[in-house]
Amino acid sequence: MQKSLNLTYDEIIENSINEIIKCLKAEYVLSKRSIALLLLQGDTDMMESVKKNEGSSFVKISDIVNEVKKHYDKPLNYIVSLNRQKRVEEITDKYVKKTDKSENNITDLISRITMNPITGIPILLLVLYFGLYKFVGEFGAGTIVDFLEADIFEAYINPWVNNLVTAYIPWHWLQELIAREYGIVTLGIRYAVAIILPIVGTFFIAFSIIEDTGYLPRLALLVDRIFKKIGLNGRAVIPMTLGFGCDTMATMVSRTLETKRERVIATLLLALAIPCSAQLGVIVALLSGQSVALIVWVVFVALVFLFIGFLTSKLMPGSKPSFYMEVPPLRLPKLSNVLVKTYTRIQWYFVEILPLFIVASVLIWFGNLTGLFDFVISLMEPLVNFVGLPDEAAEAFLFGFFRRDYGAAGLYDLQKAGALSPRQLAVAASTLTLFVPCIAQFSMTIKERGTKAAIAMAAFIFPFAFVAGFVLNWVLVTFKVLP
Amino acid sequence: MDCCQNKTPWYKKLTSTLLGTGNCHGEVNQNTKGLEKIALIGSPNVGKSVLFNSLTGAYVTVSNYPGTTVEVSRGKGKIGNKEYEIIDTPGMYSLMCITDEEKVTKDLLLKERPKVVLHVIDSKNIQRMLPLTFQLIEGGIPVILVLNIMDEAERMGLKIDVKGLEKELGIPVVSTIAALNKGIDTLRERVEKYAKIA
Repeated sequence: MQKSLNLTYDEIIENSINEIIKCLKAEYVLSKRSIALLLLQGDTDMMESVKKNEGSSFVKISDIVNEVKKHYDKPLNYIVSLNRQKRVEEITDKYVKKTDKSENNITDLISRITMNPITGIPILLLVLYFGLYKFVGEFGAGTIVDFLEADIFEAYINPWVNNLVTAYIPWHWLQELIAREYGIVTLGIRYAVAIILPIVGTFFIAFSIIEDTGYLPRLALLVDRIFKKIGLNGRAVIPMTLGFGCDTMATMVSRTLETKRERVIATLLLALAIPCSAQLGVIVALLSGQSVALIVWVVFVALVFLFIGFLTSKLMPGSKPSFYMEVPPLRLPKLSNVLVKTYTRIQWYFVEILPLFIVASVLIWFGNLTGLFDFVISLMEPLVNFVGLPDEAAEAFLFGFFRRDYGAAGLYDLQKAGALSPRQLAVAASTLTLFVPCIAQFSMTIKERGTKAAIAMAAFIFPFAFVAGFVLNWVLVTFKVLP
Repeated sequence: MDCCQNKTPWYKKLTSTLLGTGNCHGEVNQNTKGLEKIALIGSPNVGKSVLFNSLTGAYVTVSNYPGTTVEVSRGKGKIGNKEYEIIDTPGMYSLMCITDEEKVTKDLLLKERPKVVLHVIDSKNIQRMLPLTFQLIEGGIPVILVLNIMDEAERMGLKIDVKGLEKELGIPVVSTIAALNKGIDTLRERVEKYAKIA
């Protein structure tokens, strides 16, 4: 082996390292020198481990550390790091040559204008308009869904399946299980393949491209100031934007946030006010003909997001977050990575939702057959009436229990039947956005934040969604915003 | 995909699929019992996952922002004639850690004792990232320094003397452009040799 790195600290620290090493009797994975350094730096994990392993001599070690501390007016962690950094600089001065080549001016410029509030906000709106509204909303949720729904399912598959079961299956209950209004094929698979798949697919393509350019961290810097007000720092942009893809994934990513307080706020906001891609796509498609309703929905959900964030950050104890984040360079996305990533995400998503949609169909079928479904719907009806919606919307909300997107897809069916006015659409979309997180997100919340926190959040969200819907409806009626 | 093939009973798998809590959220977990380990560690967004993908042939999600990886992925990779368990870890800035996912990586280093640790850094920011290399060397961990994203560093006008750095640090240093699959073969060779003596 070659000679190893020569890295020494100043005399006081070196002496104390030697003294601490003498006290360390147990076996460690790391070298004793590095353990001594970690102890000097005040690493809490290491202190606990040493306390456990060394017993009585831990007191002596603490004394040594405290003695060293007296020699410096800065924290030891800082001194040690500074020492290392100096040595790093010596080495890089010797082996890293910097020739001044300040090219990439264009990238620099783009990078700067995405982070400047004056130019950054219009850019964000452009990204949202083309990436989300045009590509996902109009192309994915419009063109492709129409094609799959009308030209494939309604023209061929559904009639074919319906005829098939009528001809070959003598039992009414089995016919209903497979086909007709709530059948596995005609409802479950149709929702999954014809409505959700194209929306999620186009969303994941747009999202993968945005991810790989390095735009998200710049967005984080842009909104850091607003996020601070709601008790989060800019870093939280990443779980939040991921939430627009899938709230379940995003809930898991919230663990990259530094404080527990931030993690709780982020999880709550994800469960409450961030619609996932499938739900978002269906809602955008649902409201795309009604631009005022769409604006009402966006503004309302954004207000709820800010209001609840602000409130929780006031109510929850804890220190304000500081913000530090690496801003990676802007890069041209690699097509192969975008495709592979989209593919794995769709595959993962689909493998997860298809069984759920089928289970949901079966449950609904069972509920329908036994009358339980009608009973639950009759319980839900006063609730949906309370927010100014017709009885039929109760069904969509019940679907929403199973999955966010399933509920939104139910609304989509209703809207096509012309059962909802623009105001009712806006209210229904808003309430459904706020309403319960899907089962998967709920179980992920339990996993990440604990059962108690998860149940508390659900208990808050459920009534809050309906009260908020009621308020929105009242405001819209009173000020005659939407017919 | 190869994930979810561990020895969990079928009903547990079913429930985790139904509830969406399976470990298929962009992580990979192949059965790698009994193999010696190679861990990829380093700051967020330096290309650990890209390297993982090219060493194992699996796919974990890769993005251009820090914090894409929040859970440990394990996959099988053949280096030389030997199979290893390759471990992809969440980003870590220092052995003194702040966030939960940094702690995951530290615990992994201490408890699983990888045969070789690949410290992956972004060559552009070598000054900021070398302190962790120092800490690993001080800790007596068998480490190889991987200078990744060399293309962007060169475009910025940085020239790094890899041989000189190797001598000074006393550990193998390899430069790579993982996204373009460059330098991976050299890296494999160095890992193979290093694993024999480490």
